[in-house]
Amino acid sequence: MKNNRPLVSIVDDDESVRESLPDLLAELGFATQAFSSAEEFLASDCIGGTRCLILDIAMPGMTGPDLQRELKLRRQDIPIVFITAHPDETIRPRMLEEGAVECLFKPFSDTALLAALTTALQLN
Amino acid sequence: MTGDPGLMAQPRRRSNVEEQLENPAGEIKRLRRCINDLVSFLALPAVWTGGEPSQVVHTLLDTLLRMLHLDLVYLRLKGPIGDAPIEMIRVGESQTLMSRPKEICELLHRWLEDDPQKSLPVVRKTIGGEDMSIVPLPLGLQGGIGMIIAGSRRADFPEQTERLLLSVAANQAAIGLQEARLLSEQKRVTSELDRRVSQRTKELVDANQELQVQVGLLQHVPVAAWTLGPDGTPDFVNHNWLEYTGQALDYVQSSPEAWMTAVHPEDRERASRSYWDGIRSGQGFTMEARFRRVLDGTYRWHLNRAVALRDREGKILRFVGTSTDIEDVKQSEEKLRRAEEKTRLIIDTALDAVITIDAKGQITSWNKQAEISFGWSHSEAIGQHMSDLIIPERLRKAHEQGLRHFLATGDGPILRRRIEITAVRRSGSEFPVELEVSPMMLGQDWVFSAFIRDITDSKQAEEKLRESELKLRQMTETIPEMLWSATPAGAFDYCNARVLHYTGFSAEEIMGNGWRQFLHPEDVDHTSREWMSCVTTGAPYRVEVRIYNAADCAYRWCVTSALPLLDQKGRILKWHGTVVDMHDWKQAQEELRNTQAELAHMTRVTTLGELTASIAHEVNQPLSGIVTNASTCLRMLNADPPNVEGARETARRTIRDGNRASDVITRLRALFDRKSFTIEPVDLNDAVREVIALSLSRLQRDRVILRPELAGSLPLVTGDRVQLQQVILNLLQNASDAMSGIDDRPRYLLIRTEVEETDHVRLTVQDSGVGFDPQVAERLFKAFYTTKGDGMGIGLSVSRSIIETHRGRLWAKLNDGPGATFSFSIPRGPAGQTPDAPNPEQVMRNR
Repeated sequence: MKNNRPLVSIVDDDESVRESLPDLLAELGFATQAFSSAEEFLASDCIGGTRCLILDIAMPGMTGPDLQRELKLRRQDIPIVFITAHPDETIRPRMLEEGAVECLFKPFSDTALLAALTTALQLN
Repeated sequence: MTGDPGLMAQPRRRSNVEEQLENPAGEIKRLRRCINDLVSFLALPAVWTGGEPSQVVHTLLDTLLRMLHLDLVYLRLKGPIGDAPIEMIRVGESQTLMSRPKEICELLHRWLEDDPQKSLPVVRKTIGGEDMSIVPLPLGLQGGIGMIIAGSRRADFPEQTERLLLSVAANQAAIGLQEARLLSEQKRVTSELDRRVSQRTKELVDANQELQVQVGLLQHVPVAAWTLGPDGTPDFVNHNWLEYTGQALDYVQSSPEAWMTAVHPEDRERASRSYWDGIRSGQGFTMEARFRRVLDGTYRWHLNRAVALRDREGKILRFVGTSTDIEDVKQSEEKLRRAEEKTRLIIDTALDAVITIDAKGQITSWNKQAEISFGWSHSEAIGQHMSDLIIPERLRKAHEQGLRHFLATGDGPILRRRIEITAVRRSGSEFPVELEVSPMMLGQDWVFSAFIRDITDSKQAEEKLRESELKLRQMTETIPEMLWSATPAGAFDYCNARVLHYTGFSAEEIMGNGWRQFLHPEDVDHTSREWMSCVTTGAPYRVEVRIYNAADCAYRWCVTSALPLLDQKGRILKWHGTVVDMHDWKQAQEELRNTQAELAHMTRVTTLGELTASIAHEVNQPLSGIVTNASTCLRMLNADPPNVEGARETARRTIRDGNRASDVITRLRALFDRKSFTIEPVDLNDAVREVIALSLSRLQRDRVILRPELAGSLPLVTGDRVQLQQVILNLLQNASDAMSGIDDRPRYLLIRTEVEETDHVRLTVQDSGVGFDPQVAERLFKAFYTTKGDGMGIGLSVSRSIIETHRGRLWAKLNDGPGATFSFSIPRGPAGQTPDAPNPEQVMRNR
């Protein structure tokens, strides 16, 4: 059963997110991998197995959108759910336009997250 | 020469005639004897040869007397022209005659004087009471030598033979005398020659000795001495001269002008002229010339004198001379001359008329200025009575009385001090003078020197000064400022009417120390202290003080300042001061300060407003954790079976994130809410870390790569933590903004803290952004100057005022590479230790 769980990768420089989100996703029935930066994710062997990427927008070094562009260049068509602590409503449409599945503003509810993941997995 | 008849008397003999008459045989005998006598007479010259004339005469007379048995023979010889004739007489044995030879001489003399050319024949004369036959026999042609007179008592005298004998004897005598005379003359000449030769010899010996002495003298006299030949060539030069000039005798003698090489080149021509003039004229010379002293190579003045030495005929033998070093004399002469010249010049160029008079009141000296002042020339004035010349008629009597009084009593009330008096010019016009008369004893007499200054101009100048003082006074009274002055000791001695009007006090009330009355009571002590300190040190005086204003009936803030007026030696002569009402200005300044403070506050709010998104981000991060953990927790508890352990773990994380959110809120509230500011020790590193924490999300959003380089151990600074953080935040934001358009290079932002050598702590924020125009480097810190499209331009202005309040400084410079660096530096250690430093708390109090 566990092996069949889809892999959701999390990239966020905020430690509390990296701590809390995997537990919630596990409760929702996902397998997870958390990375503190985009570079760390790109260097891992999880790219191919990742069914959905939960990606923080603002990070030091490579940002969320940077990683999105990098993955596009690598033709890794991973559905991405952006998350951000910036309460800027103008960001969301831009992110969706760029091909994101969803853009969630922190703090977000488990149902909103689940809905986004469900949408993402449907794309697979 | 009159012979002594007594000594020459001969015994009387029988005459030849008697013997002839007695005896014819005797005639023969007589003739024979006559011939013998004749032979004897003829032999006489041989006897006489080489003899003196006197000897000839004596022999002749004796022979005649004896041979012819004469009673009397008299000889008279003519002496040299003009001399009395020489007479001689011999008498026979007659007692009568023997006693009276002198009488006979005179008788015959007189007889001969009647006719000096007496010649034969015989005359009978009574001589000495006896009748005598007298025969005159001339000697020489016409008696040119003299006359012999033979006398006999015999009436028949002379007989024929006697006549012959007499004649021959006379001839022989003439010849003998002639010869004797010649001989005698020869002897005289010879002896004269001998005398002269010996005298000359002696003279030459003496002269030679003299010369020896002279040469020795010349050689050793302590002056340079020399002799010159008649042609001017030196033939002797003594050691002194040679030693002085360093020339050798051979050289000096080599040519007449060789010695001239020792003479100063400038003097040569003149010296040569005097020299040759003196030689050629034979007058010798006296000339002054500078000779080189070989000892030290200096030229010194010498007096050279030469006199001619001449022989008996006046022919020049040589010149003798000396050279005397007169440099010292010359110099002292020159000094004296200069001193006299100087004195004369001083007196002549004196601005005062200088006149001296003698005890009679007559002018003895009269300088140039006296000529100018009074119009009388020097030659006109000398010898005149001073009172007649320069004293107005009405004052003359008083002057002369004063002079007499002084001479009589030594008492002169106007002497030795300056008095102002009226004098009169040649033209008759009178003018004011300042006069000082000093009496001096010159020898036995009083002389008076008078210094007289025409003070017409200074009188006018005095008048002008009075006028200009009046003008100045008018100006100080009309100038729209409050002016005052004080003595060097600090006592008020003047203030203009405006001070009185402003304060409502009277001049009398505020003079001296009275001015303290118009000060605010709280200001009296420190103002008095400050004033006395300045009076003591001479430092400029400036105090802000509240002064009573009569118009407002209130104290108003004024600035009172004063500067000392110094004399040439730096001593304070006077204090001059002003009072300026600053009250309105001070209030405006206060208002400005308040406005600035409000502005700073507004900036902070604005800055934080810009940070709203970042703040939300800071809060949202922990909130996100909270929500997620809470959701997980619920799901774990709702599971079957419930995952209690997982729920507990997530709940624990929820609490932790809640605390993190709370921390963020607390920090934000500090920035927004704090009203009063506290001065406290601040760790600048901590302050930086907090600011970084607040700005991080924004910096990340702006894709800025932050590189903190915080010093390992940083001394604490003292100040307002939040204000300093506001500055740091502002610098970080500016740096971030400056890089917002940069895409071709990393957006590095360096923030560094470090210790400076001068006990300061420095914070540096370096970006790699667009930098700024170096032309506007200082304007960056002006309020409302901005390079940003959306900035207000007050951030840096406020930042700088905050840093300066902390006694630090804030500056900007361009990097070597891209971007700019902003730094501030503030002193370490507790602020407020230095009393005169502005107290940040005071400045900020009004927020």
